[in-house]
Amino acid sequence: MSAANAAPITATDSLSQALKANIIPNQEYLLQGSVLDSAVEVLLHRLRGLCDNVDAGPETFDDQEVCFSLRDPNQQSAPLMLRVRKALDARDMPYQLRYIGQPDLGDKTRPTVVRSSLDIACNGMLIEFLNELGCRIEFEYSVKGYMFRKGRMKITVAKVFKISQSSAMPPEPISQSYLVELSVLAPQGQDAIAEDMRAFADQLRPLVQLDKIDYKRLGHMAVT
Amino acid sequence: MGVTVLQQYPVPENKTGTYVIELLTKRLLALGATQQGQFLVDCESFLSHPQMGATKTVHILHNSEQPASVFSILESGTKNIHVVADGLFDLFMMKLAQHYTSKKQTKIESKGPRFELGDFCVKLGSVMMNQTFKGILIEVEYRPCVMANAVWSLLREFLQGLLGASVPVSPPQHLLSRMHEIYTPVDTVHQYLEHFGQYRKVTGLRNA
Repeated sequence: MSAANAAPITATDSLSQALKANIIPNQEYLLQGSVLDSAVEVLLHRLRGLCDNVDAGPETFDDQEVCFSLRDPNQQSAPLMLRVRKALDARDMPYQLRYIGQPDLGDKTRPTVVRSSLDIACNGMLIEFLNELGCRIEFEYSVKGYMFRKGRMKITVAKVFKISQSSAMPPEPISQSYLVELSVLAPQGQDAIAEDMRAFADQLRPLVQLDKIDYKRLGHMAVT
Repeated sequence: MGVTVLQQYPVPENKTGTYVIELLTKRLLALGATQQGQFLVDCESFLSHPQMGATKTVHILHNSEQPASVFSILESGTKNIHVVADGLFDLFMMKLAQHYTSKKQTKIESKGPRFELGDFCVKLGSVMMNQTFKGILIEVEYRPCVMANAVWSLLREFLQGLLGASVPVSPPQHLLSRMHEIYTPVDTVHQYLEHFGQYRKVTGLRNA
């Protein structure tokens, strides 16, 4: 039998090969911060100067995100959190299904939050699929803003909105600030990228403080 | 990508699967077809945890014709919900291991030679479940057309010419309601799932 007529390798085999070679980007390195609406123009201007896509200008996006949870049938571990994103400004694009694991903040020497992450492009009836799978909708919101690139780093500056009940009403922003995120998706063990992110965050420091955000502590903070 | 019809081919009592595949290969080559590689369609099914209520089944299928996609069909009651995703969906199923467990013993696949003959693409698949030969599935695709309604007569004629008059050829159950819609790769996957379901129910060993 000639090589051209060799049997195709199974999907399971190619997946385990990819896992063995460690080429699957399953870790997210993340820094977060926020700026007031009044200061966002200055930050955007700075990012336009620092980032790769200078000529074309920043890319805009307008996404709706629905967060699902799937309870552990044995009640032993925390529910599985799943997120589905849909671009509202490009409706023919696939859904993005995301699994995000528990964030690992590490100690002071670790420059960024690291969390396991799986990003999957999906077509078809994903929302119905997840509902039937046993997932429950936890919350949803829409997020609209700008995306920049610097090498492998992705920087988003975006405003979070509540989902309005009727389409006639304009979406209501949840705060008077923009959420700023600096992230990289990489295979396991590529910690050098975290240092690059820290260096980049330092360049933005006069305008926005990008940090490791601990959600657990945020939950316990008193609202003043 | 065109319209595809999947058809079971009966293996005569005293013959093996290999014999039938060779026989059909000879017929195809005599018609002027050329072999263009091999193909593989596989299916693994996952059952929901008993504590999650009514049992649901998630079927995960791969087709070598669409090597970058994972097809997932959720069976719950009378509804079948499908999602077509990229290759990482397999890793996602591993994350769901607590909730959905694989029924490894029912892992089933159809594989064999793939032929091209003008506008047609013919695949002769031997169906194996757990190293056990289950039967023969023949896939015929007419590539220039995407409407099942427009091409069904042509496909039937081709199949009858290839398989002989003794094999009854009728439109696949899944296509009946979709004759006037645009055919997509997931329609092929639905047909495979229908046949795999039938093969899984059949007990008894056959010689490959």
